[in-house]
Amino acid sequence: MKMFISVFLLLASVGALAGRAEAQVIVIANQSVKSDAVSKNDLREVFLGNSTNLKDGSRVKPVLLKEGAIHAEFLSNVMGKSPTGFMVAWRGVVMSGQSTMPKAFDSETAMVDYVSHTAGAVGYIGKATPHGGVKVIDVH
Amino acid sequence: MIRTHVSFLALAVFFGLGSAMAQSITDLDLQVHGYAAQGFLYTSHNKMFYTDSDNGSPAWTEAVINISVQPEPKLSVAVQGRYAMLGTSGNTITLDWAAADYKVNNKLGVRFGKVKTPWGLFNETQDIDQTYLWALLPQSIYDITTRNADLSHYGGVVYGRVNVGSRAGKVDYKLWGGEAVIPTSDGQFDDLNLAGNGPQNSLTYPIYGGALHWNTPLTGLMVGASDSRANQTSVLLHGGTESFAAWNNLSYFAKYEKNKVMVAAEWNRQASPGTLDLAGHPVASISTDTRGWYAMASYRLTDKLNVGAYHSQYFDRQAPLSTDRFTKDWAVSAKYNLGAYVYLKAEQHFIDGSALSLDSQRNPDPSPIYHATALKIGVSF
Repeated sequence: MKMFISVFLLLASVGALAGRAEAQVIVIANQSVKSDAVSKNDLREVFLGNSTNLKDGSRVKPVLLKEGAIHAEFLSNVMGKSPTGFMVAWRGVVMSGQSTMPKAFDSETAMVDYVSHTAGAVGYIGKATPHGGVKVIDVH
Repeated sequence: MIRTHVSFLALAVFFGLGSAMAQSITDLDLQVHGYAAQGFLYTSHNKMFYTDSDNGSPAWTEAVINISVQPEPKLSVAVQGRYAMLGTSGNTITLDWAAADYKVNNKLGVRFGKVKTPWGLFNETQDIDQTYLWALLPQSIYDITTRNADLSHYGGVVYGRVNVGSRAGKVDYKLWGGEAVIPTSDGQFDDLNLAGNGPQNSLTYPIYGGALHWNTPLTGLMVGASDSRANQTSVLLHGGTESFAAWNNLSYFAKYEKNKVMVAAEWNRQASPGTLDLAGHPVASISTDTRGWYAMASYRLTDKLNVGAYHSQYFDRQAPLSTDRFTKDWAVSAKYNLGAYVYLKAEQHFIDGSALSLDSQRNPDPSPIYHATALKIGVSF
């Protein structure tokens, strides 16, 4: 019984930590994007190159981080893919002539700067990263 | 003629619009991508794909380089070159595709130049090795030896996505038309080339078609169909003529992909009535009426390792009753990503029937039951 409780508490802790980690990523957009919220499915379509417009009609342009924990977390939680799997999928999109690869940034600060100055740009950063000049999009 | 016009138009867009609308390379968003893959084939019997595979053959190399620019959000222009060598076929660098793409919105886009022909489930990506698990896609539909005939055409594609209601999902449509060109070095002319009767020029013919992909309300499930049609054509050979009547390539397919699981199936029919008229020989029928299908499943065991299996069947209803009439293939496969750029593939095939993959010059008396091992290493960026 003691062992069962220990395992349960361990799993609960891991679950709680995973939940906290998920909440660390926020989706940001240029002020020109009309929506304040977007569904996970619609966001997935945008970041896979299948869609260039949100339901409100806004034309959007996804941008990526090159690597890091926030990048991996966004891809895992929203796209359901590993960073390698995501890049492989995009290379297929590019080499079959269906779209061009999104811009990728070395840092979250550079991404915020680009998103704030580029109409339609949509990206993702850690919650703690300063993000003045961009709007935060709620993902549901 | 269509080829010349669309090539000129695409080049004009590439150089004209690109330079006029962009201030610098940064503005153009210039990107370079590509991949190279080296394969190894071994068969227990028979010489597969024009190689000496029964002794083990490394004569299987592919490479692609892609350069693209995006001068403004709705317009992108790209060119892709391809090198492919499989046994004695290919060994040339070809223009894979070169196109300008103008996407008005999700509902409407247009692509023109030399464009990928979007029939079936895999045709647009069948030469982009890194994007799928398999070393060989099911040969019943995606025959690697005649790939050049299928990959792309000169002309255009009109495409878009229509939302059919919150409870009915979305439908992607693609309509295409133009001219297909099969180069003289293509694998499908290998028998003729080996006999000294190869084509004098590329085989060209008008094609048109359409595809619908219904992204159902069940997340991850897509159901679709495509039909590609070609007008009658003929090509002058060294010592004769090869002629084809109008034909069509019909596919129905479905794919379910969610989290770590992928399941897909496709059925295809290609009817190609034709004759071979060689000097000194009676006119021979080269008509085929084929049915191909496969069902496949894969599972991502870890972020790096993907495993799967498929079963594929092919029947030529015009062929005489023998093991040359069909090919049935069970395949088990694994792909391992060594990192973001390098991958390895290993695949084992258990094949019954000799209708596919075995040319008659090297296999005058093929063994109907054989095994094939395919290994690949690739680099992509």
